[in-house]
Amino acid sequence: MNGALDIATAVLLVAGGLFCVVGGVGLHRFSDFYQRTHAASVTDTAGAGLMLLGLMLQGGLSMVTVKLVLVLAFLLFSSPAIAHALVKAAHGHGLALELEIEDERGGDGDAAG
Amino acid sequence: MRLGVLLLLAAVWLALSGPYTLHGWLIFAFGVVSVAFVWRLYLALERAAGGGFEFFRASAWLRLPRFLVAFALKVAAANLHVTKLILSPKIELHPRLRRVPASQKTSFGQVLYANFITLTPGTITLDLRDDELLVYALDAESEADVMDGSMDRDVLRIEGDSN
Repeated sequence: MNGALDIATAVLLVAGGLFCVVGGVGLHRFSDFYQRTHAASVTDTAGAGLMLLGLMLQGGLSMVTVKLVLVLAFLLFSSPAIAHALVKAAHGHGLALELEIEDERGGDGDAAG
Repeated sequence: MRLGVLLLLAAVWLALSGPYTLHGWLIFAFGVVSVAFVWRLYLALERAAGGGFEFFRASAWLRLPRFLVAFALKVAAANLHVTKLILSPKIELHPRLRRVPASQKTSFGQVLYANFITLTPGTITLDLRDDELLVYALDAESEADVMDGSMDRDVLRIEGDSN
């Protein structure tokens, strides 16, 4: 195994792990549902992305790497779709948003609850 | 374009579980069936969406790398910003709900833009209606990422001169 490559992999895996922890911490520290979804997206993007990148370095130019790229690609489609579905459902059912600034007509989903 | 989708699906299936085993040709037959099934699903999806899946054109693929770089940089910067918000001693958020125009021509382009915003930590798309996105942002800095229209332009560029 190439030493520099192993170190790069280790750095990426640890960095990805740290972002996962940060996302978890944010999930607890943020105060309402909508804010928490933002903390979760740190885990989804930086956390998962860096870890997969680190694993790709180990895979090298092989089928393993192709599969890891596909995992990342599917993740990049599914995670925003899920986040959007959750938030839209909450908004549509009238879960209140705490807002400091709101465009006019911006909160028309609130009335639907 | 449709042939492109078919070939893409077949290539992905081959890459993931090609006939590399003893029972290769049986597996290969399963592959043909599943690719045909997914292709049918795709055609139904295309019909439901009223067309607009021009992303499989060769020119769009050529523009993809540049888009991915812009995308990765945006998401990385947003991740650092939200990480800073999470780890700051006192959580200080200024949540806001804004209407943002989505200037893409195709529905697929608009969905790509909406997903781009949702993937970027700090901003999330609540709704997409009448060429307008309803975007919820954590604070002014997160909001600025969307309001300055740079992400809109990134998606516009990859959408290109379709149709």
